[in-house]
Amino acid sequence: MADATLDATVGHVDPNDTSSLQTMELTVNGQTHTLTLEPNVVLLDALRERLNLTGAKKGCDHGQCGACTVLIDGRAMNSCLLLAALAEGQEITTIEGLADEDGTLHPIQQAFLEHDAYQCGYCTAGQMMMATSILNDKDIAKDPASIKEAMSGNICRCGAYKNILDAVQSAHRTIEGA
Amino acid sequence: MSETLNTQKPRIDGALKLSGGADYTADINLDGQLYGYPVGSAIASGELEGLELEEALGMPGVVDIFHHDNFDSTLKHSPNSFAEKNTVSEPRLPFEDTTIHYHGQYIALVVADTFEHARAAAQNVKGKYRANDQVTSQLDELDADNVAGLPGVLQEGDGQSRGEADAAYENAEVTLDHHYSIATETHAAMELHASTATWSGDHLTVYESTQGVVFQRHALSHVFSMPPEQINVISHFIGSGFGGKLFMWPHAIMTAVASRRLKRPVKTVVPRQSVFTSAGSRPRSMQRVRLGARADGTLTSIRHDGSNETAFVGMHNDTVISATPSMYACENVAVTNRVGEVNHGMPCPMRAPGEAPGLFALETAMDELAWQLEMDPVELRKKNFAERDPASDLPWSSNHLIECWDNAAKRFGWENRTAEIGAMREGDEIIGYGMASQSWEAMRLQCSARVTFLADGRLQVSCGTQDIGTGTYTIVAQTASELSGVPIEDIDVRLGDSSLPSGPLSGGSFATATVLPAVKAALDAATQALIDKVTQDGQAFSDVDSESIELNDRALTYGDRSIPVTTLLEELGIGQVTAEASAEPGDEKNDYSFRSFGAVFVEVRWDPGISRLKVERIVSTIDIGRAINPMTARNQVEGGLVMGLGMALFEQTEYDKSGYLYNANLADYIVPVHADIPPIDVELLDYPDYHLNAFGARGVGEIGLTGIAAAISNAVYHATGKRIRDLPISIERLLMAN
Repeated sequence: MADATLDATVGHVDPNDTSSLQTMELTVNGQTHTLTLEPNVVLLDALRERLNLTGAKKGCDHGQCGACTVLIDGRAMNSCLLLAALAEGQEITTIEGLADEDGTLHPIQQAFLEHDAYQCGYCTAGQMMMATSILNDKDIAKDPASIKEAMSGNICRCGAYKNILDAVQSAHRTIEGA
Repeated sequence: MSETLNTQKPRIDGALKLSGGADYTADINLDGQLYGYPVGSAIASGELEGLELEEALGMPGVVDIFHHDNFDSTLKHSPNSFAEKNTVSEPRLPFEDTTIHYHGQYIALVVADTFEHARAAAQNVKGKYRANDQVTSQLDELDADNVAGLPGVLQEGDGQSRGEADAAYENAEVTLDHHYSIATETHAAMELHASTATWSGDHLTVYESTQGVVFQRHALSHVFSMPPEQINVISHFIGSGFGGKLFMWPHAIMTAVASRRLKRPVKTVVPRQSVFTSAGSRPRSMQRVRLGARADGTLTSIRHDGSNETAFVGMHNDTVISATPSMYACENVAVTNRVGEVNHGMPCPMRAPGEAPGLFALETAMDELAWQLEMDPVELRKKNFAERDPASDLPWSSNHLIECWDNAAKRFGWENRTAEIGAMREGDEIIGYGMASQSWEAMRLQCSARVTFLADGRLQVSCGTQDIGTGTYTIVAQTASELSGVPIEDIDVRLGDSSLPSGPLSGGSFATATVLPAVKAALDAATQALIDKVTQDGQAFSDVDSESIELNDRALTYGDRSIPVTTLLEELGIGQVTAEASAEPGDEKNDYSFRSFGAVFVEVRWDPGISRLKVERIVSTIDIGRAINPMTARNQVEGGLVMGLGMALFEQTEYDKSGYLYNANLADYIVPVHADIPPIDVELLDYPDYHLNAFGARGVGEIGLTGIAAAISNAVYHATGKRIRDLPISIERLLMAN
């Protein structure tokens, strides 16, 4: 990672123009951050450029690729399409918050590792967040066609789709057996 | 075989990639950084007469705007030489002149304190243009036989033509003459191109999403007239590139200039639209294939005339005929490729350049010939199997194409195919079977690496190549582990940094064959350096002939004596022993021809009632020499097949008549998604190719993408009787075809 982190509240807004700034509290991976942002800052850029949580990726900035997928109160959302201010008061989960605090990988992370369900790794956080959101849905997670349909908003240009499907099904079996 | 090589190993960088900890370029946030946002031309051809900047300059947070009138006039062109490792994608410098050559050409770079401010101001920079009435496209009315009069460059295929193709064609018992075309495609790697530049005195550090840190360092060195040693290019993790990130693009120069002028780090993440317009494509290609054969299927003539579009800002020959001279035993072969300029952004290599488009045409033509001859398409190919490379007349280093055809056919169930069109049905669906051959040239280049024995028992391996997702980190660790006995989890692999010993581009499927021999050479050198120390007077092996000492299982051994490396380092009182070494190919290319081959079989389903075409399953058997890590290697082939499915059915970068690229986003440029993916069965044969290197590996990145588009189009013909020779096979195209 970079040697330095950015100050979350200052330095990235024009100090001479504070008229439009909004102060908000974002709860990310259980931790509350106070941010002062202009109202047009989307959640993805708030996470990446202000909080240095760079696991969610920017692949299109238009809600077309899924690389920025995070969980909002457990639901998968494109964080590039959500204004940061609108995420206030909700539980935001990013890839950085998926593993246990002791470092034990989430079953979906373990399954991705074992099934080589990635290549470059750029879409991977988005794929896993989307997968996590459907793992508890018994109908979706059992049936390959339903998984593929549900995950089709998450592009993997490396084409590791086969292994991603295997990983999601494997994680589902792990969770069901647990 | 060993425990570590040719073994499925999870990626050693997996934990980082799965936790959000891998630092891709845009993830790097430097203290005090500014944000660059480019402005692209709204027209494709004409003159930029001026820029309206006042409003943008007055917007919040804007620090400066760079453009033609205030840019750095001291910059020089890179010589653009592959041999000297300074190739650039677009030779023209950013803002070099005011002529507009393509839609999206950068006309300004806004730099501001936040991403949002830079973007907002960029949207308010307006160009004043004098547009040409129409864009120039030398290939607009092209079919490959009428381009000879165009000012495009004639490329006779490197002397690969042989015999008398035209005369043999005239005398052939059976002939075929067809035209094929493939739309412009875009790499569309998930990671946006990005560059962060920061200067410290006269040293420049660039964080770049690149498939070649060394190439970019050398190119920047020429552009900025600085010694390479004062420049470092870093790319620890790359969100893949598929050729689009092989060579430097103008955004990197713009960003470095802005950083120097403003004395702050500047980070430019290229917006997706600009990645489409201004960061490479596989150019549109037009091909004509003429085949002559005897009635028994023996090929007597192959003539393959190709052409591709290039940009006015640079020459790119996509060499779509590159595989043709080597594919089949045929005494009379002629290949040409011509290139014509068009007002589009600069094209560049895209995964399996040459072979992927070229084998679409050739392997579709072979299928057409099989139908004409009423022969099984597999049998036709077997009939013309080349026992040695007919292009070079050298023996193959290793060639198991016949086994590929046989195995894949068996796994697929090819014997169930009926030789009539549209005769296989299930419910409302018509089933089509198709197949094609696959091929990619195997290459190996020079490479350096460094190996360090560390006091804590770990082994560090460093090389100035990079891992774009292919698994280079992991196979380097596997190799070092295999040769040293150090467990794979105790190997530190450092890549993606141009200050490391010079390594190759991540491209052309040559990284594995190139890097691993250098890792071995560096480990041998480091071992020798350690032996030299421990055989000196008073040291542990001072009584021993140094040539009899071996590195085994993380210890130096001589007969029964075995002392761990860590103990030796402790006794020597030093923290590490390190050595750098190089490895390069010998003269094996004079003795053998190196190619990988494969066979791909496809089933498609056509439902005429609802006009739905889908690929039902894919089977491919590939001969790539030895796979160092079969898990990551198979993943590469599967990914190539998926991209080939996109090439066959979906992908086209679309320009209107004014040259405007109108589907420059990931919703309108259609790539395969989960729902498009059928069951894929990939078999990797295991015939190590020791003529190419001691590891037997020929590389695996490209070959999956070859042949697959032809196999799909051949299957579509089998199902529908419609021969679609233009990619992509869109539903509209299929419905309109006779």
